[in-house]
Amino acid sequence: MYELNICHLYPDLLNLYGDRGNVIALKKRAEWRNIKVSIDAVTIGDAYDSEKYDITVLGGGQTYEQKIISPDLLSEKASEIKSAIEGNKVFLCICGGFQMLGRYYRTREGEEIEFLGALDLWTVEGETRIIGNILFECDILAAEGYDSKIVGFENHQGRTYLGPDVKPLGRILTGGGNNGEDGLEGAVYKNVFCSYAHGSLLPKNPALADLLLSRALKQKYGDFAGLPRLDDTFENMARESMISRLLK
Amino acid sequence: MKIRYILSILTAKFAIIACRLFRRGGTSLPGKLALKIYPNVLRETAKNFRIIMVTGTNGKTTTTKMIGQILKDNNIGYITNKSGANLVSGIVTTFIENVNYRGDSGVSTALLEIDEAAFNAVTNHISPDILVVTNFFRDQLDRYGELYTTVENVASGIRKSPNAKLVLNADDSLCASLGKNAGNEVIYYGFDPGACKGVADSGSSDANFCIYCKTRYEYDSYIYGHLGWFRCPTCGYARPESNVACTEVEELSATGSAIRLRLAKPSCIKSDTDNTEQFSPCDEISAENVLSAEKSGLMNTECNGLSSEKGGIHAQNKNEIYSVKISLPGLYNIYNALAAVGCSRALDTDMDTALASLSKVESGFGRMETIDAGGKTVKVILIKNPAGFNQVINYLLTEKKNFVAAFIINDRIADGTDVSWLWDVDFEKMQPIFPLMDSVYVSGTRAGDMAVRLKYCGMDTDKIEIERNYGRLIDKALADTPEGHTLYLLPTYTAMLDIRKHLKNKFRLRDFWK
Repeated sequence: MYELNICHLYPDLLNLYGDRGNVIALKKRAEWRNIKVSIDAVTIGDAYDSEKYDITVLGGGQTYEQKIISPDLLSEKASEIKSAIEGNKVFLCICGGFQMLGRYYRTREGEEIEFLGALDLWTVEGETRIIGNILFECDILAAEGYDSKIVGFENHQGRTYLGPDVKPLGRILTGGGNNGEDGLEGAVYKNVFCSYAHGSLLPKNPALADLLLSRALKQKYGDFAGLPRLDDTFENMARESMISRLLK
Repeated sequence: MKIRYILSILTAKFAIIACRLFRRGGTSLPGKLALKIYPNVLRETAKNFRIIMVTGTNGKTTTTKMIGQILKDNNIGYITNKSGANLVSGIVTTFIENVNYRGDSGVSTALLEIDEAAFNAVTNHISPDILVVTNFFRDQLDRYGELYTTVENVASGIRKSPNAKLVLNADDSLCASLGKNAGNEVIYYGFDPGACKGVADSGSSDANFCIYCKTRYEYDSYIYGHLGWFRCPTCGYARPESNVACTEVEELSATGSAIRLRLAKPSCIKSDTDNTEQFSPCDEISAENVLSAEKSGLMNTECNGLSSEKGGIHAQNKNEIYSVKISLPGLYNIYNALAAVGCSRALDTDMDTALASLSKVESGFGRMETIDAGGKTVKVILIKNPAGFNQVINYLLTEKKNFVAAFIINDRIADGTDVSWLWDVDFEKMQPIFPLMDSVYVSGTRAGDMAVRLKYCGMDTDKIEIERNYGRLIDKALADTPEGHTLYLLPTYTAMLDIRKHLKNKFRLRDFWK
C-alpha cells in the first residue's frame, strides 16, 4: 500500500480563500485509490523536515499574516524547504505562498521585503488588485494526456515576474495571471507548482490534483505505474460550467 | 438650499413610489437621487433622531430585529431599514420614506442596520447615539478586502462618533479592540467560561494572533470560531469583563434556547480607556435577585424592588441574574440577544420588558424564516460566509428527524463572486447527520462547486441532485420531505431573493420591503 505524507505549512495563518480545499482534494483523491495519507500541520515554531514530506502545500494569506510568518520562514525553515525543492519533492504554492518562494516583494513605497529565494521570481506591488475568475492553459497537463484547461479565482495586488529558470504553469485565456502583462500564470520549477488561482484549484481541476499525486508517488516508489481513473462527473461539471461562461 | 433639500426629498419619494409600482424593492435608488440633488440630505433628515446603529459581519439583521422588538414593547416608535438596505443610499431612502416633505417625522428613534464596510462612510453624514457591533469574520474578500481593513474602517467611524455609546462583543478580539482606546462609554457582552457545554469548534480561526502585537492568543474557553476568552501572553490584551453575560446555556433546541443572564451593576459599565486598569469584580450574586423575566411579566414593578421607574434598575447595587428564553435557535442568536440586551442597557429601557421581547422575536427576512407548507415545514436560512455557514451546520446537527436540504449557491456581486470560501466551511462536521438527510439538492450559479464540496466532505454522491430550476427544486425537494418533517433551503443572498419569489407565489408570503 502506498503512503503519502502531506505537509500543510502555516495552515493557521495562510488559510485565506479556502486554500485547505487543495489539501482535502489531495487527501480524498489519494484515499479513493487506497493510498494512505497523513497530513501534518506545520506552523511557526514547528520543525519542517525536508525528508519527511512528499507533498508540501503553502496557501495564501493577508499581509498581516505574511508579516507574522516571515521571520520563521526565513530563519527557521528556509534551508530545509530549499533542500526539499532541490530534492524534487512536490510543492503546491498559492498566491501569497507563491510570492514567498520568490526572491522579494517590492511595495509601492519602494521597500523590498526579502523572501525565501527558492525560486527565481519576484513580485512588485501593483496599483490595483487583480480580482476575478481566471482560465489558463497548462501544457504540462496536455503532455500527460489530460485536458489542458485550468479554472480558478484570483485576488492579488502583487505582480509576479519569472526568471529564466522558472517556467509558467500556464498561458492565460481570460484573467490577469502573474502580472496582467505577459499573459503568463503561475510557475513551475522541478516539482514545485505555483499559482494565483486560490481555494478550489485542485478540487475543480482534478487532473492537476492527480498530476501532483503522480509526481509524488513516482518520486517515492520506483514501481509506481500510474493512478486509476476516478468518476469526476461533479468536478468536470463545475469546471466546464465555468469554462463555458468565461469563453462566452 | 432649503429648496434643494425639499426637492431632494420629493424626488426620492416619487422614486420610492415608482419602484413599488414596478414591483421592485427600490431601496437604494431613491436615496442615491436625493444625495445627488442635496448631499446633506441625510444629515438634515436625521438630525432630530436618536440613532441606533447595528454593524458587524454576522447577525446584524437579527440583532436589529431584536432591538426593534424591544423598542416596540417599550412603546418607543422608531423607523428602521427593514429589508437590509444597509449602505448609505439605503439609509437615505429609509429616512426619506419616514419624513414628510419638510423633513419632519412623528417618531424620534432610528434603528439602522449598517453594512460594516459602509459604516465609515455613513459616519461622514450621521453619527450613532448607540453603536452595536456584533462580530468580525471573514466575509466576501473579493468585495471587502482584508478583515483587518474592515475592522479599521469601523474604528475610524467610531473616532468620528465620540459621543456614541458602544455595545461590543467581548469574546471577539477584533470587536472588543474597538473599545480599548476609544473614549466612548462601552457596554461589553459575552459568554462566561463554561457557559456552554460541549460546543467546541475546530474550524479555521479568523483571528489567531493578537491584533496589537501579533502574538498567538491563549484561550481559556472557546465559543465558536475565534470567539472566546482570549488573552495575549505578550502585550496583555485580553477579553474585557462583560457587563451583559450569558452564564449558562440551559437549553439549545431547534426552535430556541434558554439561558441564564447576568447583568453587571451600572458602576461596572465604563470605558476601557486604560488597558492596565482591571475591572473590579462586581458585588456577589444575590439569590434574591434571581428572577425569571418570563414569570415577572412585561412591566414588572415590584420584583425585589426592581422598579421600572426612572433609575429603578440602576438603583440596584448587585449583579442581576435572569432566566431568559430566546425564540430563535443557535448559539449565534444568543450572541445577538446579548447584543440587544446591551443596547437596551444603553437605552436605559426597562430590562424585564427587554428580556421578554427576546422570547417574542421572529426571524428576519430569509434568516431562519419558517414557512408552513401544509403539514411540512420549509425553513430558509441565509448563507453568507464560513462562520455563518458553520453555525448553520451546528444548528442542523440539532435536527433529530429525517430532513431534506437544498444548498443554493450564487456568485453574483452581492453574494461574493468568489465561492472558494465554501472550502473553509466544516461540512465534514455534518457526517453524523448524513443518515438523516434523505436527499440533498444543489442549485444556483455555482451548483457544481457546491456538489464538489459535498462530495469531498464525504457525502454519498448518489444522494446529491443538481437542480437549477427553482420551481422544480422546491417541488421535488418538498415531495421528498415526509409529512411533519422539514425542508431546509440554504441560499446565498441573491439566491435567497430569487427563491423567496417562488416561495412567495407558492405560499403567499409578504413582500420583503414591508
